[in-house]
Amino acid sequence: MENAVPAGPAESAAPAPSGPAWRFLVQPRWLGWHLLMVVSFWGMLWLGDWQLHRALGGNALSWAYTFEWPLFAGFAVVFWAKTIKDEFRIKRGETTGSAESEASRDDLPISVRPVQVNVGTAQDDDGDEELSAYNAYLARLNAEVKRHGRWHGLRS
Amino acid sequence: MNAAVLRYRVMAYVTGVVLIVLCFVGIPLQVAGYPAVANDVGVLHGILYIIYLVCAWILSRKLRLATKPTVIMLLAGTIPIMTFIVERWVTRRFINPALASQAEQAEPVRR
Repeated sequence: MENAVPAGPAESAAPAPSGPAWRFLVQPRWLGWHLLMVVSFWGMLWLGDWQLHRALGGNALSWAYTFEWPLFAGFAVVFWAKTIKDEFRIKRGETTGSAESEASRDDLPISVRPVQVNVGTAQDDDGDEELSAYNAYLARLNAEVKRHGRWHGLRS
Repeated sequence: MNAAVLRYRVMAYVTGVVLIVLCFVGIPLQVAGYPAVANDVGVLHGILYIIYLVCAWILSRKLRLATKPTVIMLLAGTIPIMTFIVERWVTRRFINPALASQAEQAEPVRR
C-alpha cells in the first residue's frame, strides 16, 4: 500500500486536520491489513501447534517446524508494529520537519530526500536567463521523480 | 546500503536454489517413496528462509519501501523461482535508483 495518506493536494499540507493522528488506522485499506495480520498470526500459531502434536506423535522432523511457525508469527507482529510506527513518524515528520530526517538524509533515495533546488532568481544569478531556465528544469525533473517514486511504492 | 543489498542478493539466490531443489527434486522423490531429500532440504529451506526474511526486511527498511513491495519481497522466499524474479524487479525498480541517487545529487548549477 502507499502510505494510506489521502491522495491529492492534502498530502503536502498539514496532516488531515479532520481527526487525531491514528485516524488512518481505521481506513478500509488498513482494516484489511489488520484483518490479514490477525488471520495470519493465528494461522501460523495454529500451524505451529499442529506441528507440535505431530512432533509429540513421533515425527522428529516436526520439531524444527514447531519452533519455526511461532517465530514467523512473531515476525509478522514485529512487521506490523514497525509499519504502523513508521506511518506515525511520517505523519509527525510532515508537521515538524524533525532533526532526525536531517541526519538520515544521506540514507534516503533521491525521491524522498529533500533536495535544495534554487530556481534561479535575480539575487544570486545576476539575471542569467539560461541558468535560471536550467535550474527550473532541474526543479521540474525533481518534482517528477518524486511523484514517480511514490507511484511505484516508495515512501514519500 | 551496499552491504544490505549484497546480503539480500546472496540470501535470495541461496534460498531460491534450495527451494527449487526442494520442489523439483525433493517432492517428486517423496511422492516416489524416498522422503529423505525432502525432509532434509525442507528443514534447510526453513532455516535459510528465516535468514532471508531478516535480510530482505533490513533492505526494505533501508530503501524505505512501502508495505506492498515489502510483503512481496518477504513472501518471494516461499514460492519457487519467485526469489529470482523479485530480486531482479527490486533491483531495477528500487535498488538501482537508490544507489544512483547516492552517487550523484541533483544540485543546481553554479557558475
